[in-house]
Amino acid sequence: MEVEKGKTFKYLKDKREVSSGVIENLKYFNKMKKMIIGALTESKMTIPQLTKKINMPESEIVYYLMTLVKYGYVQTAEVDDMDEYFYYKIKNNG
Amino acid sequence: MQGRINHASFDTLIIGGGIAGCEAALNLANNEFKVLLVEKDLSIGGKMILLSKVFPTLDCSACITTPKVSEVSRHPGIMLFTGSEVKKIVRIAYNNFDATVVKNPRYVIAEDCTGCQLCEEACPVIVRDQYQMDLVGRKAAYIPFIIASPRIAAIDIENCTLCGACEKVCPTNCIDFTQEPEEYQVTVKTVVLATGFKLFDPLMMPRYGYGLYKNVITSMQMERQLAPTRPFNTILRPGDGKVPDKIAYVLCTGSRDATVENPICSQICCMYSIKQAQLLMGALPMADVTIYYINIRSFGKGFEEFYEQAKGMGVNFIKGKIGRISEKENGNMMLRYEDINKGIVKESEHDMVVLSVGVLANQDTATFFSNDELKLDPFKFVYQVDSFASPARTSIDGVFVAGTASGPMDIPDSILSAGAASSEAIGYLIQKQ
Repeated sequence: MEVEKGKTFKYLKDKREVSSGVIENLKYFNKMKKMIIGALTESKMTIPQLTKKINMPESEIVYYLMTLVKYGYVQTAEVDDMDEYFYYKIKNNG
Repeated sequence: MQGRINHASFDTLIIGGGIAGCEAALNLANNEFKVLLVEKDLSIGGKMILLSKVFPTLDCSACITTPKVSEVSRHPGIMLFTGSEVKKIVRIAYNNFDATVVKNPRYVIAEDCTGCQLCEEACPVIVRDQYQMDLVGRKAAYIPFIIASPRIAAIDIENCTLCGACEKVCPTNCIDFTQEPEEYQVTVKTVVLATGFKLFDPLMMPRYGYGLYKNVITSMQMERQLAPTRPFNTILRPGDGKVPDKIAYVLCTGSRDATVENPICSQICCMYSIKQAQLLMGALPMADVTIYYINIRSFGKGFEEFYEQAKGMGVNFIKGKIGRISEKENGNMMLRYEDINKGIVKESEHDMVVLSVGVLANQDTATFFSNDELKLDPFKFVYQVDSFASPARTSIDGVFVAGTASGPMDIPDSILSAGAASSEAIGYLIQKQ
């Protein structure tokens, strides 16, 4: 069977089922991304401030926030007055 | 050199593309022998390519590793198989092995991929990045890491939603979901085992709280935090993102410990911990770094001076075995330990703990040979038949061992060992011609 180049994902989609865990993981990431970016749109925040705002475990916020930094949605700003926590803000691509 | 096998016979099969495997491959190929290098990961370079700096010189690890791995990738005498596994090796006759190698699909046409990362940008999926020791996420369509060799994208099919976003944006149309595992039968005259080591899993020691307390990390996680391509762009506690200012190192985590069935010394933990402590002093000048040890074993060239240098920089050394680690409400750690010099039990508070995990044998090595028994030593490393006169020889004639597959050792010793293995393999090949 000749599979059209550029559309081979359809070929595998017919042969293989995507697990519910993978779908759930994608939904959860999108939810976290929306919450973090939503909070940072209002103002720059430290991780403890984000935790208070969106009521999620700190370690999860660290993981997702740093992933958003890695992929260019968020950027690191200055450190707080106690030199303990960095502020994070929406990346200005302008 | 990547690509399809156009001839199915090689002088040497090298299993493992870490620094020892690469060194052995280059030595053999530069002497006109045809080499097949099989690496199960998506990039060669092993653990060394993921390190920040190396002890005792504090040279950049990537600066040493990348020229070597690039040379391996481009060498006309080396056929490189990444994302591949050796399934079986059968000795047919003297100086003649039949090997079955399975190349797992990357779902990317390697020859066409330019490493542009547009597929990675388009991919919506985030999973934990194993190359950053799970500290940050990566996409399901991804380049393993910035200095990966070969720099070719791969699709993590287990975590892929098959949305097709990567395929739509690929400028060279190199994403190919029709790929399937390919099996190759090759004939080789010698085999070099460079399968490396596994790091001790600290989950085996629940009293240290790894996995339970987010601010207890492994030395490899700290190594990534210190590397130029680090996950956080600075050093932070994974538990709450705080900049740590009182860091503890727990030496001999999983080494010299009969309770976890590893009574031997891992030979590298003391020195990499001292190295990390020095790097931390540079990265966080106000930080207080304490190393809890049983004995400091600074036996190599320049090691003692390196240890003294760390003391001079202000790293605290406490001779004490950590009994238990518990967490306070603010995320800080309480370390309960015996101060051996004073003979009393003490407690100390730190805001981050690094477990200096030890070296364990990679037990996959023993499973390759179907009609020969590869002897292992009592600690499951490859047994050296004559470790004094012929250190690379194994219990199977024509099979040699390189690097940490034969036991714990540091980078210079791994490279020396790979040199010995390639020399012995060359001698064997010439003798049998």
